[in-house]
Amino acid sequence: MKILEKKSWQSRIFDCINVLFLLLLVLTMIIPFLNTLALAFSSNLASMQPDIVLWPKEFSTEGFTTVWNRMRLYLPFMNNVIVTVVGTAGHVFLCSVAGYVLIQKGLPGKKWMLSAILVTMMIPSEAIMIPLYIVNKDLGLLNSLSALILSGLVSGFGVLLMRNFFLSVPYEMSESARIDGAGDLRIFFTMYMPLAKAGLATVTLFEFVSRWNQFTPAVLYINDPSKNTLQVALKSLIVDTDVTSSNFMITTNVRMAGIVIALLPLLFIYPFVQKYFVKGIFLGANKE
Amino acid sequence: MKAILKYKTLYLMMLPILAYFAIFSFYPLVRGLIISFQNYRLIGDRPFVGFDNYMTVLKDPVFWDVLQNTIVIGTGIFVINFILPLILALSLNEVASVWFKKVTQMIVYLPHLFSWVVVGGMWILMLSPDTGIVNQIIQLFGGDPISFLASDKYARSVMIFTSGWKEMGYTCILYLAAIVNINPSLYEAASIDGASRWHKVRFVTIPQLSSTMKMVVMLNVLGILRMFDQILVMRNGAIADKVDVVMMYTYQKGILEFNIGPATAAGFLIIFATLVISFVTRALIRYDEG
Repeated sequence: MKILEKKSWQSRIFDCINVLFLLLLVLTMIIPFLNTLALAFSSNLASMQPDIVLWPKEFSTEGFTTVWNRMRLYLPFMNNVIVTVVGTAGHVFLCSVAGYVLIQKGLPGKKWMLSAILVTMMIPSEAIMIPLYIVNKDLGLLNSLSALILSGLVSGFGVLLMRNFFLSVPYEMSESARIDGAGDLRIFFTMYMPLAKAGLATVTLFEFVSRWNQFTPAVLYINDPSKNTLQVALKSLIVDTDVTSSNFMITTNVRMAGIVIALLPLLFIYPFVQKYFVKGIFLGANKE
Repeated sequence: MKAILKYKTLYLMMLPILAYFAIFSFYPLVRGLIISFQNYRLIGDRPFVGFDNYMTVLKDPVFWDVLQNTIVIGTGIFVINFILPLILALSLNEVASVWFKKVTQMIVYLPHLFSWVVVGGMWILMLSPDTGIVNQIIQLFGGDPISFLASDKYARSVMIFTSGWKEMGYTCILYLAAIVNINPSLYEAASIDGASRWHKVRFVTIPQLSSTMKMVVMLNVLGILRMFDQILVMRNGAIADKVDVVMMYTYQKGILEFNIGPATAAGFLIIFATLVISFVTRALIRYDEG
């Protein structure tokens, strides 16, 4: 390493400017979150006064109690938990199954199945939102959490990612197990699943994040307020009530508290996300 | 036949997955294509009307407005999401302190995790002219408060900027991962030849990132036409004519006005455009390779 070589003064000035630039950038990233958090923990009155708030003014949790109890955010929150947990579990399982099938050597029709899955990745789901809406309507899924769970239950990205993880497991292992009389289900559950823990973790995290944030399907398929999910409820809390004044005024701390509640579960898994995301992005993009 | 029996467990395992894609990917695609040529009504027959739905869309001045918005905002987002992360990655790479690098990366990546409802909601509240922190800072420096999300002048820039703010860290991580994989002997060779720090960035790092750049271009180009969540959250009546994008048009026509035929036709125009754009981009990127 040549880091210890003597630095010229230009180089030093550059280092200073560079670090200053990065610090400025970090500030623009972090101030919005600080502002949100500080306002969420401010009192009703204080949160409505114009000021640069980076620390709670008149510390209070009334924003949280209002949004959770009085505005009943716990209902959409629980719906979100159900959709996220069931949807993620189903997604991880089905993508693993597909990934396992698609690594089998000599399976007739494998190429055909693989290209069908690649084609689905090219269809922008937003562009077929109307026919998707009609399909869900015909299946009687409108206004049900099932529609939300089914939306994106398998994805080409997840299948490819699991397939690429399984490809790194030595194929000879499954061959010798087959000779010993093990069936596919047994090989899949007892050999491949335990060996692909990192893959399962990656797909789980990806899916958890996108499920928790799932928005468009809920906008399309759900009308019934009791089936609302968190993102839709949050949108109406922040945006829609701006114009139409309901029976009581929604203060800024209430809105910010809603935002904090929505991002909290993701903050908890963030340390794990860092570990798996980059690898996952590249593995899911490899279509060989 | 014997082969299929031999593999029957595998086919059975695959069945639910193929069924899922058939029902929720391929069937809607085919069904949508048919609907786009039909006069779609809830009750009664649905006669075929040829290209009428497509003509309705193409003759609708609103469609051309939203297309223009999509191109302007989409191009802005594309450029900012290509350049900002690259500058950030190169700049982070010049920092010696591992700790500083890690923390910066962690903070910058954070907004990518959150939905557009969360990020858009935060910015709507922060940009509010009365109490939002941005206008408070502007006033601190003696400026007048600006209604960012109610003004024709700023609405599109706000969309572009917030998208850059949200996605910068994500793309930056892709670049950083590629920088880590650059062969160190290239830098040593450059040092021996007397290259300065800038020369190393210019002649080693940037050329070595070309394949990642291509990946980023492909990913982002296809995102332009899919823009929806962000606009749905951050739009409002005052700026709708400046920020409504093609997906908003499809949504409004189809779901809110129940004008299923034209809405589906608009969706297929987008699919067609997506195919053309991805084909052209691929060709251009390969062309570049010589």
